[in-house]
Amino acid sequence: MPRITRDEVERIAALARLSLAPDEAERMTAQLGALLDYVALLGELDTRDIEPTSHPVPIATPLREDRAGTPLAPELALANAPESEGGAFRVPPIIEGGE
Amino acid sequence: MTPADRSTPEPLGSLAELGAALAARRIGSRELVDAALARASALEPVLHAFVGLRAERARAEAAESDARRARGEARGPLDGIPIVLKDNLVQAGEPTTCCSRILEGFVSPYDASVTRRLRDAGAVVIGRTNLDEFAMGSSTENSARGPSRNPWDPGRTPGGSSGGSAAVVAAGVVPLALGSDTGGSIRQPAACCGVVGLKPTYGRVSRYGLVAFASSLDQIGPFTRTAADCAVALAAIAGHDPHDSTSLPEPVPRYAEALTGDVSGLRLGLPREYFVAEGVEPGVLACVREAAAELERAGAKLVEVSLPHTKYAIATYYLIATAEASSNLARYDGVRYGRRAAHPKDLHDLYHRTRSEGFGAEVKRRILLGTYVLSAGYYDAYYRKAQQVRTLLRRDFERAFEGCDALLTPTAPETAFRLGEKASDPLRMYLSDVYTVSTNLAGIPGLSLPCGLADGLPVGLQLLGRPLDEATLLRIADAFQRRTDHHLRRPPEPR
Amino acid sequence: MSAPREDRRVDVHPRYDAVIGLEVHVHLKTESKLFCDAPVVYGAPPNHAVTPVCLALPGVLPVLNRRAVELAVRAGLATRCTVHPRSVFARKNYFYPDLPKGYQISQYEEPLCTGGWIEIQVGEGERAQTHRIGITRIHMEEDAGKSVHDESLAGAEGSLVDLNRAGVSLLEIVSEPDLRSPAEAGAYLRTLRSILRTIEVSDADLEKGQFRCDANVSLRPKGAAAFGTRGEIKNLNSFRFVEGAIAHEIERQARILDEGGRVVQSTLLYDPVAGRTRVMRVKENADDYRYFPDPDLVPLVIPSDEIERIRLALPELPDQKRIRLEAEYGVTAYEARLLTSSRALADFFEAVARGHGTPKTAANWILRDVLQILKEADAEPEAIRLEPGRFVTLLRLVDQGRVTARSAREILPELLLRGGDPEAVVRERGLEAVSDSGLLEAAADEVIAAHPDSAARMRAGEEKILNFLMGQVMKRTGGKASPATVREILARKLRG
Repeated sequence: MPRITRDEVERIAALARLSLAPDEAERMTAQLGALLDYVALLGELDTRDIEPTSHPVPIATPLREDRAGTPLAPELALANAPESEGGAFRVPPIIEGGE
Repeated sequence: MTPADRSTPEPLGSLAELGAALAARRIGSRELVDAALARASALEPVLHAFVGLRAERARAEAAESDARRARGEARGPLDGIPIVLKDNLVQAGEPTTCCSRILEGFVSPYDASVTRRLRDAGAVVIGRTNLDEFAMGSSTENSARGPSRNPWDPGRTPGGSSGGSAAVVAAGVVPLALGSDTGGSIRQPAACCGVVGLKPTYGRVSRYGLVAFASSLDQIGPFTRTAADCAVALAAIAGHDPHDSTSLPEPVPRYAEALTGDVSGLRLGLPREYFVAEGVEPGVLACVREAAAELERAGAKLVEVSLPHTKYAIATYYLIATAEASSNLARYDGVRYGRRAAHPKDLHDLYHRTRSEGFGAEVKRRILLGTYVLSAGYYDAYYRKAQQVRTLLRRDFERAFEGCDALLTPTAPETAFRLGEKASDPLRMYLSDVYTVSTNLAGIPGLSLPCGLADGLPVGLQLLGRPLDEATLLRIADAFQRRTDHHLRRPPEPR
Repeated sequence: MSAPREDRRVDVHPRYDAVIGLEVHVHLKTESKLFCDAPVVYGAPPNHAVTPVCLALPGVLPVLNRRAVELAVRAGLATRCTVHPRSVFARKNYFYPDLPKGYQISQYEEPLCTGGWIEIQVGEGERAQTHRIGITRIHMEEDAGKSVHDESLAGAEGSLVDLNRAGVSLLEIVSEPDLRSPAEAGAYLRTLRSILRTIEVSDADLEKGQFRCDANVSLRPKGAAAFGTRGEIKNLNSFRFVEGAIAHEIERQARILDEGGRVVQSTLLYDPVAGRTRVMRVKENADDYRYFPDPDLVPLVIPSDEIERIRLALPELPDQKRIRLEAEYGVTAYEARLLTSSRALADFFEAVARGHGTPKTAANWILRDVLQILKEADAEPEAIRLEPGRFVTLLRLVDQGRVTARSAREILPELLLRGGDPEAVVRERGLEAVSDSGLLEAAADEVIAAHPDSAARMRAGEEKILNFLMGQVMKRTGGKASPATVREILARKLRG
């Protein structure tokens, strides 16, 4: 696999909604490159017929009975909101194409 | 041991000792909690282990505990005992920050299931402890609150990420602290601070209310001074929880009854690969080998086993843990809680500035790595590959446990390192998790207990068990502590 | 079992064929949300139906709703899908203020149901055609909250986020690109909705957003085999809009192709007022959702005997019912299809037909009068309050000549929507048919006197004039005259 480029790091950062200062992007590119070089170690292993493990415990998902409980009191639901109005969370305008 | 500063209150005893004193009415919970709070405050300038104390509420709860006891309604071995929570376990009405700027000001409206269980058992939470931001680190240096320090040597880290919890138990502030372990974050600081730390089987303890780092690896566990205390703590927090779909339905055994002191006939496997790893300190190996010899003298049988995929564990771990983390940390967006960037001009700006200002460097690095390995074109090469190697690592343990009842290894390749020593080299920091990460990938239980000092610093002995077989680990650790006094050694009182 | 692919050609454009696939999102009929016990409510004040889980507070975990799983299995079986005993929930990662976790829990590589089909009918009467439309997959996922951009509420400066809907259980039902015209798309949606309502998987109320549709539309030159580039029209919430949007999208793409241009893969919104689609954004690169199995949810395993139990408990499906109604009651295929468009209507019909004994009469009244009344009242068949037995009573009154059909029609709307005893209503309103022969004889005489020409033509054997004269007699008796008696009297007087 070719080494990760700064452009790729910036594309990934945008996907993760992170902005990187130029020096930070430079540093991250180098560090991620070193980490990816290291994990390339796994390429030594032939895993063609190996089932992936997503969960360490071999159980099926438990099911919950369909009963409605008591919701959070509205003032608690909003208690941590940086900004709210009329019981709703307020966010700045969503610019088309921006998000 | 004479405290240099006579105003520093005496260290608290073990859970068993304090429980006996409470039961015999030699002391009240209110006094215990006062003592714990006083010691916490006195040591804080040195240890920097706490994120916050809840003195007033703790005192009120302690008074309730005393009143219960006076009415003959004491709830068991934890009633009235002061404890602490790692600051990634939520408690209703209390702030939780995970030592991240992004959660500044967040107050949880709900209790974690472990918090609820401990409070129902009468335990009194006196405060919340420091960690690497979102539990990402091995030193607490990645905390937005600044690093905690090791009670054995304040120039060194207490390990991490549950460094604050390990430090306060080691320093005798409380007899029980909860931490979380994703790749060693309980066992490694337990080793660095010379206390007992247990990462239970994945699913044994509910994760509901543990702020997620990597959901398929995270487990909550206790720090205590002794294996016997650890058994009591585990019994209190283990068991099925309908709020956690990954919580196991199996009944919780009576761990205390497993502490027979007898290990004769037990087969202890020494994984060959763990004793030849690069960078392991000779002093650490010497202590671990001596501990193995001690258990052999106690009647256990030592066998050599192999975990052939060990060298792939760290790479596997960092791929899976960061992938899950990148998704788990997407909720910190400045919309519903926590920090929001000032005067965002639009949504894009809100997201980018909130997250860029709110997360520290290590968290950003892991989010980026995790986002990358899940992204189109890389998923199979990295994430899926890691999940396949995870299967191989799990099988390694299954095979090893065919020939032995528990594994015995060092917890960490070295003793507590100096503050700042590895801070600039993430890969080097990651490599110090070599003995602990496989446990989380396989979901098996792991326990670290002190087994001696190397150059005056504690060394951790790690015991690994079959899934759900915490009892055997506790039995071995308890038997070892009955025959040795490593767990009784105290760090010097700070001056 | 996967549906055989039909490569049908339907004339929607002189130069191009359209290829249409639909993605339908349906709210499951559950009391609580998919992964937590927050109540499912519509129209509550913002953030009054949320828990720490649907707010995505730090530390919360999802636990799956048993009822939602059962309903999803039911939907899969009713659409002849393979229901997989093992399926996996995955995280679809993207940022939006109405998506609290920053990911949606959905199913991706291993969905619950795959490879089914439903049958649709287009055209009416003799020209009706049926087509089999493939269902690619049905999977479970959680709904997002709502962002309100209304300036009167949020001001020009932002949006408001309400998470009451966040986490409500959804089924995503993806069709194969087997549809060829706006009318087929409409028929597919109506049929699908009717199935989902019959098996009580969803109320599928379009106005409540319980049944929403995205349409993928592409064109290819007539006769070409390869599919063209598609436009994806988002969030259509009425059947009329779906048909309108697809029709417009076909025109829009045809215009581009006619001008020698290239259709760019894009997401569009439909403006029903202007009747046109508008490109919302162009998909340069496919979105990178970074799907991966949700580590908080282990695989969903449904034992095969549980799937069988659900299969056995399935109610009769609309098309099974349709075939049975044709055989059992002798109604036409067209009538059977209308009658089975809703379970409530079909049940009503069956009860009335059985009670009355002449299914044809019951079908006529229901398809003509009842449907018309419901349409005028903008009501669903569930709104019928008249007990079938009392409807039978009314029909009997007509049969026996005690009420004229005209009077019966007059009182039916109120009876149908409010209920009541037809006999009492007839009495109260004085609508008993007039069969007093003296009175009717007199009326007939008056009519004959007033229309001597018509009377003469009747006497000369022009039978069809009888209807006109009868009408005149009815008019004089306020519509209450028993038509049979009037006919008899006039015939006697004018045929000699």
